[in-house]
Amino acid sequence: MSLQNFLSALDCLQTEAIETLTAASDADAFEAARVKYVGQKKGALKDIQKQMGKVAAEDRKNAGMRLNEAKQAIEAAVAEAQQRLGGGGESGADPTFDPTLPGVRPSVGHIHPITQTITHLTEIMGRMGFEAAEGPEVEDPWHNFVALNIPEDHPARDPLDNFYLATAESGSENRNVEGSRLLRSQTSTVQIRVMENRQPPIRIISLGRVYRPDDPDATHFPMFHQMEGLLVDTHVTMANLKTVLRVFATNYLGGDVEIRFRPSFFPFTEPSVEVDFLWDGQWIEFGGAGMVDPNVFRAVGYDPDQVSGFAFGLGVERLCMRRHGIKDIRDLYSGDMRFLSQF
Amino acid sequence: MLVSWKWLSQYVDLNMDREELETRLALSGLNHEGTETPADNPALAADDFCIDLEVTSNRGDCLGHLGVAREIAVLYDRELKVPTPKLPASSVPIDSLLRVDNQFTEACPRYTARVIQGVKIGPSPDWMQAALRSVGIGVVNNVVDATNYVMMECGQPLHAFDYASIADQKIVIRPAADKESITAIDHRQYELDPSMCVIADGQHASAVAGVMGGADSEVTETTTDLVIEAAIFTPLSVRRTARKLKLHSPSSFRFERRVDPVGVDWASRRVCQLIVESAGGTVADGVIDTAADIPGSDPIVLRLSEIERILGITIDAEQVQRILTALGCQCERPFSNGEASFVAPSWRHDLTRQADLIEEVARIHGYDKIPEDSPIPVAPSSKRTFDSATEKIRRVLTAAGLSEAMTPSVVTKKLDESLSPWTDRPALATQTAMLKGAKRLRRTLMPSLLQARANNWASASIEANLFEIAHIYVPGKTPEDLPEELYTVGMVVGGDFFTAKGILESLCEMLGTKHPISVTPVPSSGFVPGQLVRVSLGQSQLGYLGVVDPKTLKQWKLPGKVVVAELSLPGLLADSQLVPQQVVVSMFPSVERDLNFVMAESVRWNDLETVVRAAVGDPLKSMAYRETYRDAAKDGKDRKRVLFSMQLQRDDGTMSGEDADALVSRVISDCKQKLDAELLG
Repeated sequence: MSLQNFLSALDCLQTEAIETLTAASDADAFEAARVKYVGQKKGALKDIQKQMGKVAAEDRKNAGMRLNEAKQAIEAAVAEAQQRLGGGGESGADPTFDPTLPGVRPSVGHIHPITQTITHLTEIMGRMGFEAAEGPEVEDPWHNFVALNIPEDHPARDPLDNFYLATAESGSENRNVEGSRLLRSQTSTVQIRVMENRQPPIRIISLGRVYRPDDPDATHFPMFHQMEGLLVDTHVTMANLKTVLRVFATNYLGGDVEIRFRPSFFPFTEPSVEVDFLWDGQWIEFGGAGMVDPNVFRAVGYDPDQVSGFAFGLGVERLCMRRHGIKDIRDLYSGDMRFLSQF
Repeated sequence: MLVSWKWLSQYVDLNMDREELETRLALSGLNHEGTETPADNPALAADDFCIDLEVTSNRGDCLGHLGVAREIAVLYDRELKVPTPKLPASSVPIDSLLRVDNQFTEACPRYTARVIQGVKIGPSPDWMQAALRSVGIGVVNNVVDATNYVMMECGQPLHAFDYASIADQKIVIRPAADKESITAIDHRQYELDPSMCVIADGQHASAVAGVMGGADSEVTETTTDLVIEAAIFTPLSVRRTARKLKLHSPSSFRFERRVDPVGVDWASRRVCQLIVESAGGTVADGVIDTAADIPGSDPIVLRLSEIERILGITIDAEQVQRILTALGCQCERPFSNGEASFVAPSWRHDLTRQADLIEEVARIHGYDKIPEDSPIPVAPSSKRTFDSATEKIRRVLTAAGLSEAMTPSVVTKKLDESLSPWTDRPALATQTAMLKGAKRLRRTLMPSLLQARANNWASASIEANLFEIAHIYVPGKTPEDLPEELYTVGMVVGGDFFTAKGILESLCEMLGTKHPISVTPVPSSGFVPGQLVRVSLGQSQLGYLGVVDPKTLKQWKLPGKVVVAELSLPGLLADSQLVPQQVVVSMFPSVERDLNFVMAESVRWNDLETVVRAAVGDPLKSMAYRETYRDAAKDGKDRKRVLFSMQLQRDDGTMSGEDADALVSRVISDCKQKLDAELLG
C-alpha cells in the first residue's frame, strides 16, 4: 500500500468518525459509533493500524505520525460525545463526582489568642498615639518597687508574693528572702525604665509577661500578661484619663460604652481608681488606673509640679478570655492543639 | 470587713435606702462585696443586715464600725456620734500592781496597760452577743467579747490577760528567744525566733505580739483580775510573724494595716468601761503607757489650682473644706487666695501630702463628676520594627502549618537540662517554684515546645507542630549578674531536617535578610550526631536547628522524627529588610542547563554551589539542587552523583546557546579543578 492511499483512507476515516460521533444523539448511537471506530477488537482504527505494515518502510514514520494525530482526534471526539451524552443523564456530569465531599485543606497554623488580644489592644491604643514599649522580665527591686513608691515594709514586697531569684547566699532552696532580683510582678517597671531615659511628653503602652505566685486554677496562673498605659505631659488630668479609657472601651467593645471610676489604692498612683465598664447591663471590672504619684515622678527625676500624668493597667488574659469565651486560664499555657486550633 | 446595719446605726442615722448606701460606699472607696439578710444568715437579728465591704490596705481606719460610719456621715453630711468612755475613779494606783518593760520598740512603738480587779467572768450582755454574732464573731465570755466588740467598733485590737498568771507582775515586750515556744489560745504550739516580738511576763512569753494570745494567760472562769493591753505593733513585724507562723488573726490583719496611734487610749478606756459594766470590778487608777506622747502630723497645704490641674475639674473651696473637715482633718488655715492648710486626723496615716488630700476630695465629691469629653492632643505613634517583624514571622510559620503556643518561662530541672545549645552556664532559678517543681528560668524554648508536643501526643495523638516567640534568659558571667533576656522564636516540627530548614529559609526570605542562611554542625547532646547545626546569617550567629536524638525522643515518649529550631529575633532583625525593594527582572529569555557531577562524598553542596557561582558569575540567576545518587559499583566507594539545574540569563541581551555552552564548560573545568568533580555524559 502506498503512503498516499494510507493517508487518504485515514482522512476518510477521521472525517466520517468525527461526523458520526458529533451526530450521535443518544447513548445507543454513541455506543454503536464508539465500537465501530475505536472498539478494541474490530474498531476501524485498529483495522487501519494493521495496514501500517504494508506501507513502505521509509514512509512508515510519516504514516505513524499521521495515524497518531487521527487517533487523538477521534478519541477526543469520543470523549466529547461521551461527555455530551454520557453517564449522568441530561447535564452530562460525571456521576462519580461528589462536590459535597470535604475539601483538601492546607495545613494552616493558628495564632495564639493572647497574641491576637495584644495585637488588638496595641492597635486601638496606637490610634490614640500610644507606642508599645517593653522591658526585662528579670528586674531589680528599684524598678519593681522603690521607684513605684512601694517602700521596704510594703506587703507587695513580701517574698511569698513574688518570685525572687535564688542567689549564692540564699541557695536554690526555699528560703523566701527578699532578693536583689526578681521576676517582675507588674509591667509598670517598663514605665520607670522609659521615664528614666526620656523626657516628657511620654505616651506609651507597656506589654509583657508578669509573674506572681498564685496557685493555678481556672482564673489564676502564676504567669500572665499585663498591658499598661502611661501618658505624661504638662497638662494631663483625670478627665483625660476617663476620656481615653472610654474611647478605648468603645473601640474594644463596640458601641458607646459607659465607664465608671471607683476609688482604690495603688502605691504608684494618687488618686487611684478601679475602672468598670457597663457591658450587657453589667458592670465589669476592667483594671486599675490613676494619676501618677508625685513620688514616682521624683524617682525618675521629673518635677511633679511641672508635669502630670495618668497610668492604667489591665490584665490581658481577662479581656482575652471574656472575648473568646475561654473558661480556664490554664488552657492558654497548655500548648494543647485542641485548644490552640480554635483560634 | 463585715459591718452590721444595726451596729452602724448607733453612730450615724441610717434612714437612707440600704442599696443606695451600698452603691455610694462602693463609689467612694469601700467596695461592696455583698449583703446578708436575716433570711440568708440566721445569726442576724430580724431587723439587721450584714454588709461586706472591701477595705483597701491603706484604709485601716475603716476596719471598725466607727470608721465606716464616719464615711457615711461625710457622704450624707450627717453627724457622727462617737461614744465617750467613762471610768469610775479608783484609789489603787496601777503602778502598785504592774510594771511594763518595752525592750523591743522597733516592733512595738507604744504599749499601754490597764488593770481591772475583782471581775466576775460570765456571759456578755445580749446586745453585745447579738452584735458580735451579726459580724460572724463567736462569743466567749464578758471579757473576751468586750475586747472583740471594741476592736470591731474602732479597729484597735485589744488583749486581756489573766493578771494572776503574770509572773512577777511584770510585762516585758521583747524579741522571742531562739526556738522559744508558746501555746496559743488556739491550743496549738508555735516555735518562735528572735525576729518575732512577744509579750512576756517575768518568765515566759504570754502572747505573740499583735498576732495571738497565749493559753497560759488566757481569761478563764476563775479569773478575777485582768491586764488590758492596747498597743501599737508595727505592720512589718506583725506581717512577718503572722506569715512565718501561718497564723493570721483579726488582730494581725488590723496591725498590718496600721492602727490609730491616738485611738489606742480611747480603745483601752472603752473596753474597761464595757467590762466593768458587765463583769463588775474596779479599774485601777491610771495607765501604763510606754509612749504617751504622740507627735502631731504636719499641716498640708492644698491649692485649688492643683485640684484642677490633677482632676480636670474645679471644686469650690467651701465643698473642699467641708469634705476634709468631715473626714476629720483640722483646718489650720481656711482658703484664701485659693490656698488652705489642713492637718490629717491621727487615724489617717495615709494622708501626708497635697496629692492625698486631692484624692479624698475627689472620691467624696464623686468621680462621676469628672467628664469624659476631654480628649488628648493627637500624636503620631509608629509601629515598632519588632512588631512588624514578629507579624511577618507569625505569618510565615502559620502558613507552614505551625501553631503558636505560649509555655511557662520557668521550667523544671529535667526540662532545663534536656537541651541547652545557647549556653553552658547554669540557669537562674527562682526561690519558690512557679509550677510543680519548676524553678529554672529557661535558657531555650526548645524543651518547652518538645514538652508541649509530647503532651499533645500523649493526650490526643496529635503530632503538634508548634512555635513560640518569647524571652530566654541567658545567665550572665557571674551568678549575680542580670541575665541577658533574648527574644527568640522556637519551633518544633515533625519530619526531617530539611523540612525544618526549609521553614527557616522561607522565614529569612520573607524578612528579606541580606545573607542566606548558612549552617555549621556543632556537637551537643540530645541531638542526632552531626545533625545539630548552628545557623548563621553572614558572620552573625542566629540560632540552632537540629534533629532530636531518638533516645531523647523516647524520654518524651514521642514517635517519629522530630526537628527543633530556635533563632534569635534581634539577630534576624539586624539582617532583615522589612520593606522589600524591587529588583528589575531581565526581560531576555533564559536558558536552563542540567548538570550531573560525580564527586567525593565529602564535597558539600555548599562547596559545589560556591564554585559554580564563582564560575558563572552574574548570568547565574538560580542554581537548584535536584538529587543525589549513590552507586558504589559504578562510581566507586564514597562517591556520589549530584544533579542540579542552572538558569542562565543575561540582563543586556539574549543568552545564546554558544554563550551558555561557554559558561557550562567553565563550570565543568572549575569543578574538575577545585572539587575533583567529573561531569557525567
